[in-house]
Amino acid sequence: MTEDKAAPANGSILVVGGGISGLTTALEAAEVGYEVFLVEKNPYLGGRVAQLNQYFPKLCPPSCGLEINFRRIKDNPKITVFTQTEVEKVDGTPGSYDVTIKLNPRYINENCTCCGDCTEACETEIPSDFNFGMNKIKGAYLPFEMAFPARYVISPQIIGTDDAKRCKEACKYDAIDFDMEAKTMNRKVGAIVWATGWEPYDATKIDNLGFGQYPNVITNMMMERLASANGPTKGKITRPSDNKEPESIAFVQCAGSRDENYLPYCSYICCMASLKQTTYIREQYPDAKVYIFYIDVRTPGQRYEKFYQKIKEDENVFLIKGKVAEVSEDPETGNITVVAENAVTGEKIKETVEMAVLATGMQPTSATAKLPADLKYNEDGFIINDFEKGGMFAAGCANKPSDVVSSNQNATGMALKAIQTLVRK
Amino acid sequence: MTDKYLIEPDVNFVREIVGLGGDTLKKCFQCATCSVVCPISPDTKPFPRKEMIAASWGLKDRLVGNLDIWLCHHCGDCTTNCPRGAKPGEVLGAVRSYAIATYAVPKTLGKWVNSPKFLPILLLIPTAIFIVLGLITGLLDFTPGGEEIAQTKFFSTWLVDMIFIPLAVWVVAIFAMGLKNFINDIHENALLEGKTDKKELDFVGLIKALIRVIPTILKHDKFSECTENKDRATAHLLVFYSFIGLFIVTNIFFIHLYILQWHGPYSQLHPAKWLANISGVALIIGGALMIWNRLSKTDQTTAYKDWYLLGLVLGLGLTGMLTEITRMAGLAGITYWTYFIHLVFVFNLFAFLPFSKLAHLVYRTVAMAYNEYSGRQ
Ligand SMILES: Cc1cc2nc3c(=O)[nH]c(=O)nc-3n(C[C@H](O)[C@H](O)[C@H](O)COP(=O)(O)OP(=O)(O)OC[C@H]3O[C@@H](n4cnc5c(N)ncnc54)[C@H](O)[C@@H]3O)c2cc1C
Ligand code: SF4
Ligand code: SF4
Ligand code: SF4
Ligand code: SF4
Repeated sequence: MTEDKAAPANGSILVVGGGISGLTTALEAAEVGYEVFLVEKNPYLGGRVAQLNQYFPKLCPPSCGLEINFRRIKDNPKITVFTQTEVEKVDGTPGSYDVTIKLNPRYINENCTCCGDCTEACETEIPSDFNFGMNKIKGAYLPFEMAFPARYVISPQIIGTDDAKRCKEACKYDAIDFDMEAKTMNRKVGAIVWATGWEPYDATKIDNLGFGQYPNVITNMMMERLASANGPTKGKITRPSDNKEPESIAFVQCAGSRDENYLPYCSYICCMASLKQTTYIREQYPDAKVYIFYIDVRTPGQRYEKFYQKIKEDENVFLIKGKVAEVSEDPETGNITVVAENAVTGEKIKETVEMAVLATGMQPTSATAKLPADLKYNEDGFIINDFEKGGMFAAGCANKPSDVVSSNQNATGMALKAIQTLVRK
Repeated sequence: MTDKYLIEPDVNFVREIVGLGGDTLKKCFQCATCSVVCPISPDTKPFPRKEMIAASWGLKDRLVGNLDIWLCHHCGDCTTNCPRGAKPGEVLGAVRSYAIATYAVPKTLGKWVNSPKFLPILLLIPTAIFIVLGLITGLLDFTPGGEEIAQTKFFSTWLVDMIFIPLAVWVVAIFAMGLKNFINDIHENALLEGKTDKKELDFVGLIKALIRVIPTILKHDKFSECTENKDRATAHLLVFYSFIGLFIVTNIFFIHLYILQWHGPYSQLHPAKWLANISGVALIIGGALMIWNRLSKTDQTTAYKDWYLLGLVLGLGLTGMLTEITRMAGLAGITYWTYFIHLVFVFNLFAFLPFSKLAHLVYRTVAMAYNEYSGRQ
């Protein structure tokens, strides 16, 4: 390691995606002395982890992990961060790539103090993507408290309207600049790590589970936002139709995963996610009943298994082996009935609950939007690491469904692969 | 499930099910989606998830004498929704073929019906019987003379009855033997799997239940509950009613001949003729629709046994109508030979009824009656 530190950086590395995997890759490479460009398409770093309420298995808030990383990035002159930026083109071969990136205008410069006056002044309200449309935010906003870079964002929707003028007038720090334009830039790099992560699988595609039809059927990512203190309900888990505190909740495992008709693979994290979310509910509502319908519970490793065992002991938690294949709503009460066959007893179960959570899986972002580079994908859209060819690598959920721990391990490995490419040049 | 059950996997059984069109069964991972999406499956001990695990474990006893395989109407909803492409609907179809072969003796015949290799034999049997018996008795006349064309001059009605009446007796006898075991088995299985709490089998109750399910069968209610394969219901209904129609016609003519002593051919205006013609057309349309459905459904496995039966149904309808048309057109040679082929088809359909897929008309009816009787939810 001491040798590495002394070695002069031989070229630089492009990391695409500023989620937990991209952050780790960037830091690992930069902290041993390599120059890193970190490109993120959102106006903030942190990726999906920023939307979680707590991390399993320790159940600490994601801010603790993310904040340390943000500080390390801020303090590291070797890392240049580009937010609201996407890669347009990649030319060249391992060791020498020519990359074109496009920076979209943020309309807010580094003068921003996050005072929030522009939000006050703005009248337009837009559905919050960060909260999956469960609430509305103003057209000038901060993505979330801990956001990095700590700078407000202007929604494209208010550009050119009176609201834009009102925001600009309200800003006392001259931070708003509507003359900003999109820019393209070229960078020469020796290696590229794609850490483009995942998207929640579109639950409206699963036609028998009622998502998008019945308001009280939500997804697991929506549950994370409901449980988050900075979420649409300030952390109180209530059901969407009438804000009632739910007394019974059903989790529908493998919603759209392990299913040839949707995602054929196991998404790896959704069993743990539902068990974790069970703790959110049980903490807020000591009398609430939780029903988890599963094909089999997948809690890989000793720590996750222990977590599962602990949940199992809770007498208000019912684990039922059998996949939910039918969901209906009582329009009067908004209650949801899920139907499954209990494969252990061989009886059909019709459980009526106040709210149902679909444990939807992960789909790689590269499945829906192909990346502008010569990459190999498997049939599900995950990027295949071609170590023979080298030069470009995929880390974290861009490569396979994974939790934060394995994403980080994988990202560290890919940082090393990227460095090896530069050293060999 | 019962607490103790000694698992005796039968590997050969698994292999045979695979061969009969259940080749996807090993893909099942027991998620139970199928039992929920099945529009017919009951709430207590629903199917076909439990049948899928029994099939992959080779638990023959849990399947062959299981009434649920007969409650299934092969609509395909489960196959469409199965996350693994395990095609439970097809697996149940394969198990049904196996069950038919199990209950029908002699078993060799069952094997012949399920294998294309033996098709020539199946066609030769009636041909040989017709010719040999016809020549011995002189009731088959290859050079019938006279102005009027009448089938009976060529292939005497007496000869037809001499062959088909004993055949009917044999079919009934084989079914009776099979059914005795079948009813015992499904009852035992229902007790074992907790589908019923009626310990003793009460035949009067069973017959009463049978009467209660007849309207359901006649209306094809169960068929219509299926969403995935709705078009199959129409085709099945056509063929089903044409068989009923032809059965009635046959009986009417039987009465005409033996009781009223009237000899054919009967006038086209005779109501029974009307019924016969309508049934014939329905049979052809229904048969053709069934074949068309099979060809256009790629996720459905069509095994040889299915083609054999469909071929017979369509062939029966076509030769029947053709005989009639050519007779009216005065084409003596053609009409006689078409009639001969027609009778070969009728023989196949009839004699091998307990062995072919068509046996479902007996087993399914009994299974539906038992299910009604069992008081299962
Ligand atoms: C309901 C739920 C709960 C979970 N809870 C936990 C938990 O408690 N503990 C745990 O360990 N794991 C949990 N996970 C898993 C965790 O979310 C993932 O392991 C983690 O998000 C993976 O990080 P990543 O960086 O690989 O991907 P992402 O978080 O998706 O980050 C990818 C980043 O790349 C950016 N990007 C994408 N495409 C481009 C592009 N073309 N150009 C530029 N940027 C791009 C995205 O905007 C994003 O910022 C949970 C998952 C779910 C579904
Ligand atoms: S842009 Fe200006 S008004 Fe808005 S938060 Fe930043 S400093 Fe405050
Ligand atoms: S992790 Fe669990 S819920 Fe998610 S796909 Fe795998 S088995 Fe299904
Ligand atoms: S057959 Fe398909 S739907 Fe039924 S249990 Fe098996 S995998 Fe699930
Ligand atoms: S084929 Fe239809 S009737 Fe048969 S088990 Fe499947 S869904 Fe039920």
